[in-house]
Amino acid sequence: MFSRQVTVLVGHFGSGKTEIALNGALDLAADGVAVTLADLDVVKPYFRSRSARYILAEAGVRLIAPEGENVYADLPIIVPQVRDILRRPRGKVILDVGGDGSGARVLGSLTDVLPTTNIEILVVLNFSRPSTPDVAGAIAMVHEIEAVARVRVTGLVSNTHLMEETTPEIISEGARLAVETGTALDLPVVAAAIHEDMAASVNSDLGCPTFILKRIVKPPFEVQPQRKTVGPLFVLN
Amino acid sequence: MAKKLMKGSEAIGEAAVQAGCHLFFGYPITPQNEIPEYLSSRLPQVGGTFVQAESEVASINMLYGAAGAGERVMTSSSSPGISLMAEGISYCAGAKLPVVIVNIMRAGPGLGGILPAQADYFQATKGLAHGDFRVLVLAPWSIQEAADLVQDAFDLADYYRNPVMVVGDGLIGQMMEPVEFYEDRKPIKELPPKTWASTGWKRDRPKAIINSLFLDPAELEQHNFDLKKKYDLMERDEVRFATYGSVDSADVVIIAYGTVARVCLSAIEALEEDGIKVAMVRPITLWPYPYEAVREVAAKAKDILVVELSTGQMIEDVRLALQRPRPIHFHCRLGGMLVSPEEVIAKVKAIKAGESEAMHYA
Repeated sequence: MFSRQVTVLVGHFGSGKTEIALNGALDLAADGVAVTLADLDVVKPYFRSRSARYILAEAGVRLIAPEGENVYADLPIIVPQVRDILRRPRGKVILDVGGDGSGARVLGSLTDVLPTTNIEILVVLNFSRPSTPDVAGAIAMVHEIEAVARVRVTGLVSNTHLMEETTPEIISEGARLAVETGTALDLPVVAAAIHEDMAASVNSDLGCPTFILKRIVKPPFEVQPQRKTVGPLFVLN
Repeated sequence: MAKKLMKGSEAIGEAAVQAGCHLFFGYPITPQNEIPEYLSSRLPQVGGTFVQAESEVASINMLYGAAGAGERVMTSSSSPGISLMAEGISYCAGAKLPVVIVNIMRAGPGLGGILPAQADYFQATKGLAHGDFRVLVLAPWSIQEAADLVQDAFDLADYYRNPVMVVGDGLIGQMMEPVEFYEDRKPIKELPPKTWASTGWKRDRPKAIINSLFLDPAELEQHNFDLKKKYDLMERDEVRFATYGSVDSADVVIIAYGTVARVCLSAIEALEEDGIKVAMVRPITLWPYPYEAVREVAAKAKDILVVELSTGQMIEDVRLALQRPRPIHFHCRLGGMLVSPEEVIAKVKAIKAGESEAMHYA
């Protein structure tokens, strides 16, 4: 994952695209890679990549997203800089696309500027979500996204979890279903995302590489002495 | 059924289906659009009907019709949309119709903003619309509780033949948590058949007429007395709350509801580690309000702190609960900003140190 110059994250609503995009961008920046994260989410009104703008700026990640009071707008705003970075990618580029077919439709409007090489288009799958309870649901989601986004998906990311109630079994079973989906669609599972707290207890043979996540997107329930308040939507630590 | 990771809006929608609600009428507004979106695809799977109405006014009147025909029915909206439904909700109360209304509250007044708030407390509990009526108001603090309370709301609405409202701040609509639905869930009330419903007259019972118009003042007076009896029963039987922390000897008792109470609970746990004893009373029903619970815990606490995402609407009920003048400390965030545990910790420490200015009520 994040092996190509441009990484596009698509998938069903609430599958974890934003969490993976933020983690990927921060990991790359920590390795000294110039990275641009474009927030194309026109679906969900809270918990978007743009809410992490302060921590992204601090890490040296360039964020392309609506600015000023439009950060909070529930309007389908796609800023023009998105087209520019896709025409002339500099460093690594990550696109965090909104959920389901309705969110992926935005990608369809960018097909004229999407690079044809050195790009990975990844569907994030969480089999604990009601919209993709099984392999058939995941296959249907991939087909729907390909149809409206007018792109070919190049790989899958397994991200099955139940937040604090995640068990190693849930992660393994999710990876197994992702591999099964990949086999049916002839797509590789490029990574299984695993929360850092779970990394030690998960069976190492998931049939795909692993990607260790920190939880970044979350509501402000827990005490966080190093809280970076990034507005009302969520906090980062 | 295995646990699913659900957005609050999806869980609320699924809870309605699990409760046997096959009809949803609504009009979109952020931050609750995922409720109608979920039900627009889910209801056809169970033979139900979803209608995106032309307005909130139309939606609530569709509920009136469906409930009058004896069906379980729900709508959802966010603050300004609930204001538009107000007249229809009063009609439902007047016609004794069981309807479930979900309000995922956003910041106001006016169009306000799309971020979380608890600014509709007065609206929900005191002044929803014209006429002498009440709605039962349930306030979940988690996605699981939202799913549970929505199912209870249908039973309570049917039992009392009255509108029931479920209120959550925007986070309850938007955040994701694990949720479980229980296949063997039983109704929380014994529910008689809806012989009052307008289901077609076959001369086998008195005519069922659904109406809130009473031309005869004596009849309307009696109707009002009958409604009052019902509200008295709700006040006696339906109060729900939860208590946390050092309820028998608190330095400070916090009164908070919804997701704000979760923030406060984290603060309480951190404060206990510092040796500061804090209790919390969390109203789960905002109406009827848990006056006795607040009074009892507050009586054993040195100081009282109310935390809300409004400028202090719940303080009125806390004052009623106390039954005597006592200083009340208050902390809030507004406009869609959220309270953090650190703010609550700092406020409690300030109260302990005598550095927090309390509000004094004569």
